[in-house]
Amino acid sequence: MGDQIPGCCVHMKEKMTIILFSGELDRAIAAFTLATTAAASNMEVTIFFTFWGLNILKKETFAFPPAQKLMQKMFNFMSTARLPISRLNMLGLGPWMMKKLMRETGMASLEDLMKLAKQLGVKYIACSTSCGVLGLSSENLIPGVDEFTGASSYLSEARDAKINLFI
Amino acid sequence: MNVTKSLDCTGLFCPMPIVQTKLELDGMTPGEVLEVIADDAGFEKDLPAWCGMSGEKFLEMKKEGNLLKGYVMKK
Repeated sequence: MGDQIPGCCVHMKEKMTIILFSGELDRAIAAFTLATTAAASNMEVTIFFTFWGLNILKKETFAFPPAQKLMQKMFNFMSTARLPISRLNMLGLGPWMMKKLMRETGMASLEDLMKLAKQLGVKYIACSTSCGVLGLSSENLIPGVDEFTGASSYLSEARDAKINLFI
Repeated sequence: MNVTKSLDCTGLFCPMPIVQTKLELDGMTPGEVLEVIADDAGFEKDLPAWCGMSGEKFLEMKKEGNLLKGYVMKK
């Protein structure tokens, strides 16, 4: 955690947490832009992925485990790692145009930002309740997930953090 | 000012110039000066703000047309 100097004080790294509730590309880019910048500013950053935010962590080639219920399979079939955008989605034309523009203008992609986030030590927590409801386990999610926990673990981190965002 | 290294971030948008600056400084030794060249307008204010958070020493920001040249000393 921090270095303790005898007779002085505990030097803790500043913290930031983000609850990533949304599963849209544009919101995810906003979250990861802030997460990578904070981590590059020597802050300890945790992202708590819940509900639609878990789509960001889903593997692109999604295996449907036999243990999943029919409705869980249906949900995971309709709600995937192919993220929509929050406005002007136009059945997938919007994200295609947005990604093309981002490539052409040299803006970092979500994949780039997520790679950097891991390089900078950003912690990913998957909400265990949402995973339970949707029948998701670590085999359905990318390897970067550090923990599966609930509200108490999130809150115990958030109460020590100066910046807590809900995206 | 003795510039130890130069980092070209032209064509990159936030947060990349700052993140690249951080990664480059990680490999440098205290007292060395990094020059960062960028053309994202936000970089002018972002670099000193980032130095305030990270503790690295902000030295100077030069403007040459559209180009911004920031100088940071590794603490």
